[in-house]
Amino acid sequence: MTALLEASGVSKHFGGLYALNGLDLHVNEHEIVSVIGPNGAGKSTVFNVITGLYTPDGGEVAFRGGSLLGRLPSQVTKLGIARTFQNVKLFPNMTVLENAMVGQHCRTKTGVVGALLRTPSARREEAVIRERAADALGFFGSRLAGYRQDQLASVLSYANRRRLEMARAMATEPVLLLLDEPTAGMNPRETLELRDHIVRMRDERGITILLIEHDMRVVKGVSDRVVALDYGQKIAEGSYEYVAHDPRVIEAYLGTKATG
Amino acid sequence: MRSVVVRGAVRAGAVAGITVWYLALVGIIERLADLAIIGGFLTMDQLLIFLPAALAGWVALRPRVIGGERLTPDSKTAIVGGLTTGLASAAVVVAGVVIVNLIGVESVRRVFSSLSPALMDELYLGLAPVAGTIVLGLCMVVVAAAAAALRRLPANVRQPIVAGLAGVVAVALLERVAAPAFDQTGIEKDWLYNKRLGGLEWVGAVVVFVVVALTVRFELGRRLRDILLPDRAADKGALAVSAQPATVAAAEMDATTQAEPPSAPEREDHPLEPRVSARSLQIVAWLVIAGLLAVLPYLVGPVVARILGSVGIFLLLGLGLNIVVGYAGLLDLGYVAFFAVGAYFTAILTGGQRVTFAGFRPPVIGADLNFFVALPIVVLIAAVIGMLIGAPVLRLRGDYLAIVTLGFGEIARVIFGSTWAEELFGGALGMSEITSAPIPGTTFDFQSDPRHFYYLVLAFCLLAIVVSWRLQASRIGRAWNAMREDEQVADAMGISTTRYKLLAFAMGGAIGSIGGALFAVSLGSLTIASFKILVSITALAIIILGGLGSIPGVIVGALVLIGLPGLLTQFEDYRLLIYGATLIAVMILRPQGLVPNIRRSRELQEDERSQDQWAKHLLEADATDAPQPSGGAIT
Repeated sequence: MTALLEASGVSKHFGGLYALNGLDLHVNEHEIVSVIGPNGAGKSTVFNVITGLYTPDGGEVAFRGGSLLGRLPSQVTKLGIARTFQNVKLFPNMTVLENAMVGQHCRTKTGVVGALLRTPSARREEAVIRERAADALGFFGSRLAGYRQDQLASVLSYANRRRLEMARAMATEPVLLLLDEPTAGMNPRETLELRDHIVRMRDERGITILLIEHDMRVVKGVSDRVVALDYGQKIAEGSYEYVAHDPRVIEAYLGTKATG
Repeated sequence: MRSVVVRGAVRAGAVAGITVWYLALVGIIERLADLAIIGGFLTMDQLLIFLPAALAGWVALRPRVIGGERLTPDSKTAIVGGLTTGLASAAVVVAGVVIVNLIGVESVRRVFSSLSPALMDELYLGLAPVAGTIVLGLCMVVVAAAAAALRRLPANVRQPIVAGLAGVVAVALLERVAAPAFDQTGIEKDWLYNKRLGGLEWVGAVVVFVVVALTVRFELGRRLRDILLPDRAADKGALAVSAQPATVAAAEMDATTQAEPPSAPEREDHPLEPRVSARSLQIVAWLVIAGLLAVLPYLVGPVVARILGSVGIFLLLGLGLNIVVGYAGLLDLGYVAFFAVGAYFTAILTGGQRVTFAGFRPPVIGADLNFFVALPIVVLIAAVIGMLIGAPVLRLRGDYLAIVTLGFGEIARVIFGSTWAEELFGGALGMSEITSAPIPGTTFDFQSDPRHFYYLVLAFCLLAIVVSWRLQASRIGRAWNAMREDEQVADAMGISTTRYKLLAFAMGGAIGSIGGALFAVSLGSLTIASFKILVSITALAIIILGGLGSIPGVIVGALVLIGLPGLLTQFEDYRLLIYGATLIAVMILRPQGLVPNIRRSRELQEDERSQDQWAKHLLEADATDAPQPSGGAIT
């Protein structure tokens, strides 16, 4: 069986700095894979390469057997890969619902003529967009429901911004969802709640998930597989237990033991 | 507190005094001497002499934030502050008068040509020099103190008074427009305008003041807006009701649309009844507006109809540019290019002739189409040129985009006016014999009768408004919005930024070219002098003044920046000075524009209030249902 996402030998350097150095990474369908590693290990760069924001200097990235290289971010999203950003990036002056409706953009096709004439098909599509966006928001229960859908995204609490960003990504109807530190800045209770959401996203909606995460309780709770990066290379891969006890991972996080 | 206010008062007063001298030396004050506000009592030049002092008094007494606390000056401070402001401004003005007299008016005049004995007489308020100077100073003190006292009043008293005073001045200035309208309709107007001296009668002034003050006091303008445009509120209400508990939804509707305490759940009990009557009210209101628009040119006469025509042309430019800048966030300073494209291509497609020294010559490529056949072709050409201009600048943002488009605007001007393209566009001498856009079978003459032209412009403005409105409310508008907010994220969410940028340039160009086409029709001839960069700047000023992305804003912007200068011809020479001052004032006092896009200005405070409601609801739900985590979301 071929993997849903297959990155092989991916390199990306900025000047003399290798953010990624011959990285191999694969994600199987219906899997939840966590990427861990210390700051600067190249985790976010992986996401940016996959989604087309960066062009890799070497290697290959394939999604469902087709290459992603040279595709624009919008095209990658249309193929079924959605993402969130490490530092939450919403459309702050649009309402919560509109943010999610933007996610539906790549699944709909009303053009200028439809919009100007308000054709029946355009109206129907607009209703569908609204419905699906509300559905994506509804995934987070009462958090993003009700009056809140008409609020500007900029007035949301921090945790809700993260949730909205995930809802917006879900509204693109992705096959693979890339979550960049989804629990960063959340309090313990919210973190636990989000952990359940991630698992539910896979179980209920069938979305494959690749996430970058620092909170080891979350990594432990959700991951089918964990990949540890350091200096742009994979240093360990396997179950949480395996990776967590790998001496190279411990070294990457804590440094080497003083010898002698 | 008091020392802060007094220091501010001295500063504000000094600035006011300098402003008076500035206005005097650039010649505005003398120019407006014969423009009466209230016949026999107040003229515009006197108003300009005292207005700076009043504004200074107003500003000096503003609430201050000291040590994180917002403090309103107390009565004693207000009196001291107001008097100080007045003294400071009077001191500067009087000092100026003394200095001028010491040097000698004629000597100063060699440098400042506007400083005539007549101007000095105006500063003396028509009295003898010494007495006049003293009275002038005293009056400034009184005016500044009065303004400071006004500031102390509660908002619901203060705002109507200020608006009423402004209304009196506005109605007086509009005499030239309003008087013919009264004559036309046969309504008695002698109580309002003073026939002999110009300006308002006292009775008229009082009536205007009361009417405007009451309008503001009872917020009739906002009520009218709610009647005319309830759609957004209604949509949201319905949506919220379907999704979540009714009381919260109702509270939310009230909080964001009416700013009343959220206590109107009865709307839920009779969801249909009030909405039906609101609907019919809305229809009636719109019909009244439509009727007014229909008879307007015959009400106000041909002179004002011509002004309305140019308002319409610039409204089209504003609406088009609003798509590019307001919706898509692409700062385009070369928008005049589309205005020129519309005008010149209309000319060559409708049988326009090149002007040469040897008489009229047909352009090398041209046609003799009816205007309404040619217009779609013109619009198409403009859309294509929009994309051609858009393509090379796709990767540029902000300042860089602005500079490059500025260049494109100049390139367009140079090409249309060049000897190189003379055979096509007439070069420096331009084009003539442009169609008057006859509609077969009718006697409309859009070129020689500005009232007819008004209807032509009105039709296309309405069309452009509908187009803008529908685009904004569609999937396309949302994509533009997202792109303006964050281009990279929009791209990552599946929006092809290339496509939507080009679309914005094309749509904006198309609408702008209609403005150009109508401009060509209205004049019947073109020269390149009409297509200066000032057109781009004016269109941009219109949308910034009105509020970026707001259609009502563009309308207000066009009326203020094109309509008012057209009506107030006394100010014609100072048009750009007033533009600049207006823009600075708006940017400082109301950066979101005069009629901002609702979503961009919705106030945080209201959102917080409804959030509290929501929190209460959640807590109640928690008490009955299984405990749910709710802490973090409500912070």
